[in-house]
Amino acid sequence: MTAPTAAATTRRLTIAKAMSEAIGLSMNADSKVIVLGEDIGALGGVFGTTQGLLERFGAERVRDTPISETAFIGAAVGLAAAGMRPIVELMFVDFFGVCMDAIYNLAAKQSYFSGGHVRCPMVLMTSVGGGYGDAGQHSQCLYATFAHLPGLKVVMPSNAYDAKGLLLSAIADANPVVFMFHKALQGMGWLGTVPGSIVHVPQEMYEIPIGKAATVRLGSDITLVGLGLTVHLALQAAATLSSEGIEAEVIDLRSISPLDRETIAVSVAKTRRLIVVDDDYRSFGVSAEVIAGACEEGVDWLAAPARITHPDVPIPFSPALEHPLLPSVAKIVKASRVLCAGKVA
Amino acid sequence: MPAERDVRLHMYAQMTRSRYFEEAIKVAYLEGKQPLFNMAKGPIPGEMHLSSGQEPCAVGVCAHLRADDTVTATHRAHHIAIAKGVALNAMTAEIFGKRDGLSGGRGGHMHLFDATVNFCCSGIVAQGMGPAVGAALAAKLMGSDAVAVSFVGEGAANQGAFHESLNLAAVWRAPVIFVIEDNAWGISVSKRASTAVARNSDRAAAYGMPGIFVADNDTDAIYQAAGEAVRRARAGGGPTLIEIETWRLEGHFMGDAEGYRPSGEVAALQARDPLLVYRRRLADIGVSAAELESIECRGRRAVADAIEFARKSDYPGAESAFQTVFS
Amino acid sequence: MDVTIPADMWGDEGDAVIATWLFQGGELVSTGAVLAEVMYEKASMEVTSPGTGRLTILVEAESPVRQGQLIGKIEAVPTDSEG
Repeated sequence: MTAPTAAATTRRLTIAKAMSEAIGLSMNADSKVIVLGEDIGALGGVFGTTQGLLERFGAERVRDTPISETAFIGAAVGLAAAGMRPIVELMFVDFFGVCMDAIYNLAAKQSYFSGGHVRCPMVLMTSVGGGYGDAGQHSQCLYATFAHLPGLKVVMPSNAYDAKGLLLSAIADANPVVFMFHKALQGMGWLGTVPGSIVHVPQEMYEIPIGKAATVRLGSDITLVGLGLTVHLALQAAATLSSEGIEAEVIDLRSISPLDRETIAVSVAKTRRLIVVDDDYRSFGVSAEVIAGACEEGVDWLAAPARITHPDVPIPFSPALEHPLLPSVAKIVKASRVLCAGKVA
Repeated sequence: MPAERDVRLHMYAQMTRSRYFEEAIKVAYLEGKQPLFNMAKGPIPGEMHLSSGQEPCAVGVCAHLRADDTVTATHRAHHIAIAKGVALNAMTAEIFGKRDGLSGGRGGHMHLFDATVNFCCSGIVAQGMGPAVGAALAAKLMGSDAVAVSFVGEGAANQGAFHESLNLAAVWRAPVIFVIEDNAWGISVSKRASTAVARNSDRAAAYGMPGIFVADNDTDAIYQAAGEAVRRARAGGGPTLIEIETWRLEGHFMGDAEGYRPSGEVAALQARDPLLVYRRRLADIGVSAAELESIECRGRRAVADAIEFARKSDYPGAESAFQTVFS
Repeated sequence: MDVTIPADMWGDEGDAVIATWLFQGGELVSTGAVLAEVMYEKASMEVTSPGTGRLTILVEAESPVRQGQLIGKIEAVPTDSEG
């Protein structure tokens, strides 16, 4: 029986609380950090990302904006160039369409076009993910849409500890970072939350390096690569597979871009079987990049790599249509069995 | 001058039908979401944006429209769909995600499409404005006097597409009417806090078109203003911007705690419910209580039938998710 | 020690709902840690731990609760001299 020492006692936070804590710590430490976005003031963000900040820091630094994404994201780039450190919320990643120029032609290229003389230390935080009936314009993931564009960093935590550390790293980064948070992990009272996302979060400031994945479960038979929600699905699948004598290694990407190719390469060199679980659209995305990258390393595959993704169709509304399309624990287990068939126990 | 008696009764019929519909949808939406409100649960998952209180905007404008006139609308569009003549049963089935829905359950509440009456709506603010300009231009090119109407909220007036669409409509002299339903709130942010001008109708001057402001959610005044704008458009006079002062009696979406609304605001608005106001006005011009009740009764029955139709409809088969990606 | 919904947590009459337990039964918790989130009229509130020890959950998530209601217990655990 372990004693409840200071180290053993824990403080659990939802991702939403971890994010607002990270922002609050940064704003406290650096007067140049400001937050902009829709409903991020008194409401504390539709997804709770800025709760408590308006009361602490006031309306000059915590600014509700009009529904003018191109203008306020463009403004954030200007603020960043002038030496401020803006954190901007794009309420749903699906809304990127109205402001993508400010993100990929402007923010992403400031450093390059200026030869490094003009910086863009900006964080764009945005909600992703579906599975709860919000239909085709409010349920998308679009990881690859952003990761594809040079000059942007893209991260997504699977739990509150990583959320705080990644967000603190993102705020400290001299470059534009797209910080994606998955709605199924956020900890909202009006939407279910995957329990594994609520974990111990230390009070102090700490950083999780951008560009480093985490191996969250060790195994020798098959590598399961996931991001955000799909990490939790993979872990559940791994538990089931373990009872069948298949030990899965689970990798939590944490950073989509830069991608931690080394961690993936080391894992697949060992297991020689790979499944990528990605709830974004199937084609031309993260799953393809992970597999292609692994192949480029020259792996002596025991089975062809596989991917479990959302098919290439717009996300339908009806649960009868949406739910069968989602990556699931059952799909991961089934695919893993196939790849591991013929494995000597 | 006010509309003819028949038109006014028709507008009242549509407003009451629309309100009963929202009330019935609210009940169905909250099923399975008690005691803990989880948006994913129940027969209608996802978000729900109800239009209760904004009915006059829909009926006052749509009373002038034909089936071949195009209407684009927003995430809060049930009242507009009903006023435009969208098939109620199919619309309800769509909201319930059933096979007999307008798009077989693919779109849901925010993406209702009915090509037979040229109605569609979208969940992206101001997205419908460009398409309305295009539909208007198409009518002109095809030699028809059909018009297009784009319904948006006041929040959309700060979005880029609003400004581009107004300018383009004026440059093309397109037969389009832009209608702003100003309910004063963009989720939790008041219009005053987000908009540089007090009246968005004043912005019309910047785009070379008439801008009309209609106060107080007044059905007959809306009918009047819309009538002029539609006549102008049909006659080749180009676009108009109409800004209507309205209000929403529910939250931005169901589940919204509405902590941002000053206390007493909703109660005060309920006392001025446009349906009660209009009922009294019709009684004042001599419409009998019996006739009003008969209208209301028909509305309730149509809504009850539609809900029953939706509940009884089957869910679509999973394979239909892969159909109609391309036409 | 008792984990109860504070008697004046939301002021009005009526039930709230336990939205989420942040810890599972049997886990160690410390004084002041947020144990659960409670939703009343769509607003979220926190229930914190009265002491340090092992948690027992008496009322599950998604259950309605009243002010003053007992929802869990903390069993103090003897500390080890080796920490």
